[in-house]
Amino acid sequence: MPESIIRFDHVSMAFPGVLANDDISLEIRRGEVFALVGENGAGKSTLMNILYGIYEPTEGEVYIRGERVTEHTPRAAIAAGVGMVHQHFKLVPSFTVAQNIVLSREPRRAGIFFDDRKAMALTRELCEEYGLQVDPEAEVRDLGVGEQQRVEILKALYRGADILILDEPTAVLTPQETDELFAVLRRIVREKNMTVILITHKLYEVMAISDRVGILRQGKLVGVEETKNVTQASLASLMVGREVLFDRLEREGTPGESAIVVEHLFVSDSRGLPAVRGVSLSVRAGEVLGIAAIEGNGQSELLEAVCGLRKPDSGKVLVCGADVTGRDPGAVRGAGLAHIPEDRLRTGVSEEASISDNLLTGRQRDKRFLRFGFHLKADAVRQYTKELYERYDVRSGGIETPAGDMSGGNLQKIVVAREFSFDTPALVIAQPTRGVDIGASEFIHERIMEKRNHGCAILLSSADLDEVLRLSDRIITLYEGAVTGEFEAGAVTREQLGYYMTGDRTQEAANET
Amino acid sequence: MKRKNISYLISLSVSIVLALAIGALVLALTGYSPARAYGEMLRGTFSNARHIGDTLEYAMVLCICALACIVGAKAGIFNVGGEGQLLLGAIVAAQIGVVLKGHSAWLAIPCAILGAMAMGAAYAFIPGILKVKLKVSEVITTIMLNTVAVYICQYLAKGPWKNPNNNIVAGTGNLPKAFWLGKLTPGSNLSTGIFLSAAVAFFVWYVLKKTAAGYEIRLTGQNPRFAFFAGMKTDRIVLLSMLVSGAMCGLVGMLRVYGAEHIFKSSVSNDYYFEGLMVAMIARYEPVTAIAMSLLFAVLKIGAAGMELNAKVPNQIYLIIQTLVIFFMAAEGGVRSAIARRLEARRKAKEVRANA
Repeated sequence: MPESIIRFDHVSMAFPGVLANDDISLEIRRGEVFALVGENGAGKSTLMNILYGIYEPTEGEVYIRGERVTEHTPRAAIAAGVGMVHQHFKLVPSFTVAQNIVLSREPRRAGIFFDDRKAMALTRELCEEYGLQVDPEAEVRDLGVGEQQRVEILKALYRGADILILDEPTAVLTPQETDELFAVLRRIVREKNMTVILITHKLYEVMAISDRVGILRQGKLVGVEETKNVTQASLASLMVGREVLFDRLEREGTPGESAIVVEHLFVSDSRGLPAVRGVSLSVRAGEVLGIAAIEGNGQSELLEAVCGLRKPDSGKVLVCGADVTGRDPGAVRGAGLAHIPEDRLRTGVSEEASISDNLLTGRQRDKRFLRFGFHLKADAVRQYTKELYERYDVRSGGIETPAGDMSGGNLQKIVVAREFSFDTPALVIAQPTRGVDIGASEFIHERIMEKRNHGCAILLSSADLDEVLRLSDRIITLYEGAVTGEFEAGAVTREQLGYYMTGDRTQEAANET
Repeated sequence: MKRKNISYLISLSVSIVLALAIGALVLALTGYSPARAYGEMLRGTFSNARHIGDTLEYAMVLCICALACIVGAKAGIFNVGGEGQLLLGAIVAAQIGVVLKGHSAWLAIPCAILGAMAMGAAYAFIPGILKVKLKVSEVITTIMLNTVAVYICQYLAKGPWKNPNNNIVAGTGNLPKAFWLGKLTPGSNLSTGIFLSAAVAFFVWYVLKKTAAGYEIRLTGQNPRFAFFAGMKTDRIVLLSMLVSGAMCGLVGMLRVYGAEHIFKSSVSNDYYFEGLMVAMIARYEPVTAIAMSLLFAVLKIGAAGMELNAKVPNQIYLIIQTLVIFFMAAEGGVRSAIARRLEARRKAKEVRANA
């Protein structure tokens, strides 16, 4: 019997209106990769935040190495050897890699002065010991997402963690980066006898890396299994409590007129460097055009420029025939384009405002909600937002709950519900299901397909290639801000797309023929 | 919502009582009778119509200043420059009165109101446009512009607009008696201006809480990127909120001149806007709370005179007590929400499980 390193004993955690963890008893063993799966709002992150000392459980006890945890703070958890890599990295962008890693436990000279050289040396040692490659002298803001994640892991290791919690680590990674991360995790488990807890809802990852898997549903632990004894399908049905079928999405109708047209668009990123270089595309009514690209290849800037969030340097954007180049988002919306932004917390909602307020946004000047042209009719608004809330199956403590208290999946449903409610002829959708669980993803995919079948022109971008393949009619690949290929969705594979996403292949293609 | 308000009032009262208890200790240690001192404080505020009038007048000034701050803060622009806007509004209103001498009050008073509000708004336009167009921090620009305003007023009051009476060194000409706002209580500063103030307070509350414009202001303040993304003209909303904030400060200046001082001089405002700012912050930018809080502040302030005159408590001791009360009220919010969160979580856990 392997040694138990963490034990949850009847742990419950309550938030206003929600019991996030309900009487959970669970043991995690030394030297295993334990995957924690569940839909959004199932309580995975909450349970791990308890282990990391961010929350104090409402009831129950946590034992680390057999010792009862009495002080529920991250400081105590770190001292007990627990490290956590959050979904949103907590790094200082202007600091170097080494400075970030040693932060809060800096090596000092004469007890006062920060010893930069020593920090570099320590970081190099650490990199070598664990086989993680990063440049200690690079500033964090210049690093890619995968590298930043490695810095986070190194930071935890530097603080002496031998229990590592990773909260949805692959949500932001490319398939290649995911492979690298898993190789690292396997190595540290095997060679250093570390314990890794992985929060995820990508089931193939569970199969690929974990030894055991715990399934949470609506705050309850509904099963703990040896990974070799389960299949993706059995896990999925445990997670949602019913059989999940990934049906082919029904497609109807034939494409009509072009509703979104982009001509020779050049856009700079926030640092003023060219991000989009001469992109032209057109999306017809009743068609989904998918953009396949690795993060940071101009897709974000392209979509922002189309929606009016970013001014293009040159080129043209037309929505339903109207030239909206460089206009503000209000004007672009007026021309008939709604938008699901890639960063929903920063752009898609107001966290402080209630769900109702967030669902109303954009319609606050609708005649049906106004009396005398300025007075907002509270009853009419409540009735409207409640109906939308129910139609999109949002699960939380009611429409007066602040949006910031909701889980990612439910928040995304709010954004989708609002943007789809405008019934615009054109839609721009970025990362429709990032950080969203299977049940909600399926739901959102169906709504997107419904929009398409009703004649909406949809420009879609996603870091999840399978999603792009599943939803799109046509796909373009972007590399360093330029289009490198265009494909019919039915006639292309993941691997082919991957090939065009990593470089300009027009030359090679020309050579071959 | 209602229950939250009640628990807030209770905990606020507790913190005030605590502060007064410590104040009593300070009084006792310095050799004064706490009972007598506090008695004189209340008598100084409520004993006769004049005192009540002064208290209400001061509450009115604080309240409009606090609401002016709230209008900006809700849209995400923090107007620290209300003092300057108030002073300029006051001096413009005073000079309008001097110039229009002999005309009807029905002409002069509306002109003064509009002039003061336009002046306040114009002065708020500078930091507003700098913030919107160039992302210059409004906190710094408004503080600096306060100083500029003080000296502009001094220059005008000693120079071009100086009172012809040589005994008044720094003040504008006397406001014709015909333009004085009617007194509500004899001898006090309370004038009919309080009705205008009440209307303004109601207007601010109504716009922020009940209208589409208020909704847009709130969302812009909470997450400007989201508001912009959703199609709102966020720059215009921020700038307009700042202009309204400035206009309200200008109006306070006008009311001080026409209702109380009847001349522009430095006593028109004694950092009143900054006290209003404190009220707004302690009220956590909630209009109704700010109105109630203004009254409380006024009691503390006006009561000081009673304590000083009749109980012979030195000004310094009194100021210590007053500051303690404010300190406790500010700390109250944090302590209470921490306790409430924990209690709520426990209660919900039981409730949810009972229902399951």
